[in-house]
Amino acid sequence: MTITGFIIRNVLRNKRRLVLTVMSVALSLFLYTVLQTALRELTQPASTEESALRLVVRHRVSLANVLPVKYQARIENLPGVDVCSQFTWFGGIYQEEKNFFPQFACEGDKIARLFKEATFDPKEMADFIEDRAGCIVGVKTMERFGLKVGQKITLQGVIWDCDPEMTIRGVYRGGIDETNLFFHHDYFDELMGNPGVVGTFWIKATSAAAIPGLIERIDRTFRNTDAETKTETERAFQLGFVSMFGNIKMLIGSICTVIVFTMMLVTASTMSMAIRERMRELAILKALGFDGLRVVGLIVAESFGLAVAGGLVGCFGAWFLFRHIDIYKVTQGFFLKFDVTPHILAGGMLIAAVLGAVSCAIPARTTLRMTIIEGLKELD
Amino acid sequence: MAVPLKYNLRNLRVRWRLTAATALGIGLVVAVFIMVMALAQGLKATYVSTGDPRNLLVLRKGSTAESNSQIMRAEVSRMRYLGGLARDAQGDPLMSAEIILLIYLDRVDGSGGANVLVRGMKAAGLTLRPQARLIEGRMLRPGLRECVVSQRIADRFANCRVGQSFRSGATAWTVVGIFDAARTAYESEIWIDADEARAVFHRDFFGSVLLRTEGPAAAAALTKRMEADRILQVRVLPEADYYREQTQMAGPIRFMGAFLAVVMSIGAAFSAMNTMYAAIGARTREIGTLRVLGFKRREIYLSFLAESVLLALMGGLLGCLLALPLNGVATGTIGWNTFAEVAFEFRITAGLMAKGVAFALVMGVLGGLLPARLAARKPVLEALHAA
Repeated sequence: MTITGFIIRNVLRNKRRLVLTVMSVALSLFLYTVLQTALRELTQPASTEESALRLVVRHRVSLANVLPVKYQARIENLPGVDVCSQFTWFGGIYQEEKNFFPQFACEGDKIARLFKEATFDPKEMADFIEDRAGCIVGVKTMERFGLKVGQKITLQGVIWDCDPEMTIRGVYRGGIDETNLFFHHDYFDELMGNPGVVGTFWIKATSAAAIPGLIERIDRTFRNTDAETKTETERAFQLGFVSMFGNIKMLIGSICTVIVFTMMLVTASTMSMAIRERMRELAILKALGFDGLRVVGLIVAESFGLAVAGGLVGCFGAWFLFRHIDIYKVTQGFFLKFDVTPHILAGGMLIAAVLGAVSCAIPARTTLRMTIIEGLKELD
Repeated sequence: MAVPLKYNLRNLRVRWRLTAATALGIGLVVAVFIMVMALAQGLKATYVSTGDPRNLLVLRKGSTAESNSQIMRAEVSRMRYLGGLARDAQGDPLMSAEIILLIYLDRVDGSGGANVLVRGMKAAGLTLRPQARLIEGRMLRPGLRECVVSQRIADRFANCRVGQSFRSGATAWTVVGIFDAARTAYESEIWIDADEARAVFHRDFFGSVLLRTEGPAAAAALTKRMEADRILQVRVLPEADYYREQTQMAGPIRFMGAFLAVVMSIGAAFSAMNTMYAAIGARTREIGTLRVLGFKRREIYLSFLAESVLLALMGGLLGCLLALPLNGVATGTIGWNTFAEVAFEFRITAGLMAKGVAFALVMGVLGGLLPARLAARKPVLEALHAA
C-alpha cells in the first residue's frame, strides 16, 4: 500500500464524519465567497478605461441642488473637454414604486460618445435622436419588464413634477450599467416649463492626463457664484454613494472573520477527534519504524485534504451557482451582477489551506511528543 | 425511568474540549444572527419612535417623502385657517412649515464626508417634537444664520460644536445649540429656520407641514377637509405612519440576517452532529450497559437528544453573551428616502435573545436527531462487545 493510499483509507474510514466535516467547511467558505462578492459588488463600482475618462460636475452643496444650464457653454469651452452632456436624475416610478431602475434626462446625441463601451444599434440611435419623446433603455430593464422597442412607457415623476410619456426607440447593451433609461433633456425641460436647470453635467475628457487640470479648472470657473460646483471622476462620484452605506464594510468584514474563526474551531476539533481515536495506530506506525515526522506528515496531509476539499466545494460551488442564476432577477434589481472573481476564489482557497494547517497543529504536536508506549496504552 | 440528565452533563464535562469548541461554534452563529437582527431592529426602532401620535404630516399629493414634496406658501397660509389646530401657551397654532435639504459635511475623524439632513422649521417645530430637548446652548434665532444640531451630529461631524460654524455654499452657519433627540431619526439632523433655508437654498416652496390638532376627532375632520380642498393639493397622514413606512429600509438587512443565519446554522448543526456521533461512538459500551440495566431504546434516544440540546443551549447562551456588548453601539447608514445619513444603534432586546436561543435549540435538535437514533438502535450485545 502506498502512502497516498494509506492516507485516503484513513480519510474514508469514517465516511459520515468526512462528509460532515467537508460540508461544514464548504458551507463556511460558501458564505465567505458570497459575502466577499456582495461586498465587492457594493463597494467597487466597475471601472473601465472609458469610465476613467468621465467626470461628473455637481452642485457643491449636494446632489439635491441643481446647476444652471448656462454653465454648459462655459464648460465646453474649457480645454480638455471632449463631450459635455446635461445629465439629470429623474428617479420616477414606472407603474409601481418597487419597479425601480435608474432614469436620466440627457442629451440624446451625446450618449453614444459619452458611453463608448456600450453598444447602440445605429438605426435605433438615429430613431431615438429623431424622436423628441423617445428613450433608449438598457437590455436588463427591457427584459425585466418584458418591454419591446416601439412600446410606450410612462414614468411618474417623484422628484420632478411631471410624468414623461415616451416611446422606446432602442436598446443598448454592454459596458455601463445595463438598466438605465436615457431620454431627452429637451423633452424634460419642456414638461417642466424650461426651468433652466440641470442635475449634473457628465463630461468626457480628451485624455486621462487632462483630468486633474480639468477638474481644477471647472471648479475654479464657478467659484464664488451662487452655485459652486464640485467636479469628480465617475469613480469618485460612485464611491461617494458607497461611503454612505456607512459601516457595511466593517459589518461584512467582521461577519467573515467570525465565520472563518468558527470554521477553524469546528475543523480543528474534528481533526483532533479523528487523531485521538487512532493514537494506538500511530504508535504502532512509530514502532514499525516510521519516524515522527513521517507520521505527522500523514496527519497534515489528511487535514489539508479535508480542508481543501471543503474549500473546493464551497468556493467553486458559489462560483458555479452564481454563474448559472440571474442575480438581477433573483434580487429584484438589488444586485446588477454577482461576479465571483478569481481574486475572491483565491482568497477562499487560501483560507482553506490555512485552515488545514491550523487544524492539524495540535494533533501533530501531540503525536510528535507521544512516546510509543504512551500511544499503545491509549484505549480509544 | 429516564436516563438522568446528570449522565449527559458529566459526559459533556469529560469531553470538555470538544464540548467547548462545538458550543462556541453554535454560539458564534447565534451571535452573528443577533447582531444582524439588532441592526435591523435598531433601524426600525429609530423610525418608529420618531413619529408623534398626535401629529399630522402634510405632503404634496403623490409624494412619498418629505424630500420630494412641495407645498406652496399660499397653501401653508390657507391651512392655518382651516381650524382644529392645537395652540400653544401664547395662542399660536402648533404648525410648522418645513423644508429638508442636504448638505455635505466632513466627518470629525477626517475619513471623508457624508450628506447630512438639514431641516428648516418654524418656531413651533420644537414644541411639535417633544422627544428633542436642548442639552447645550440655546434655540436658534431666525435671521442670524444660526442652527442647532443633534448630539450625534456634533459627535460625528467636524465644526459642529456650540460656537463653531460650518459652511455650505457661500453661507456660514453658526452652531448655537445641541439637542438630544432620544434616539429618534432627528438624531441625524441639523435644524435651521425654514424661511432662511428657503432664502439660502433658493427654494420658493416648503416641503411639508407638520401640525397638531386638538384631538383625534379634530385630526380626522381636518384630514378630510384638507384632502377635499380644491386649492390644496395635499396628502395628509399621521406622522407616526409616515415614519413607519420608512422602516422598510430594514428589509435587506433582515434578509441578510436570515440568509446568514440559515446557512451558518446548517454548518453548525453539522458540527453538532459530528460531536454527537463522536460522543456516541466513544460510549458504545456504556450504551450497551444502559440497555442491560433496563433503560429502553426510547429513553436512550431522548437522553442523547437532550445532550445535544444541552450543548446547543450552552452555545446559545454564549452567543447572547458575545453579542450583548454591541447593544447601544451607534452606527450609520444611508437613508434611501432622503439620501442623508441616518444614525442608529444596535438594539438587542430580550425577545431577540430569546429568538437566538430558540435558534440554537433548533440546531441542537437537528444535530442530535440522527446520532441519537443511531445510539438507540445499537443492538445490545454488539454494543457490549465494542472496543
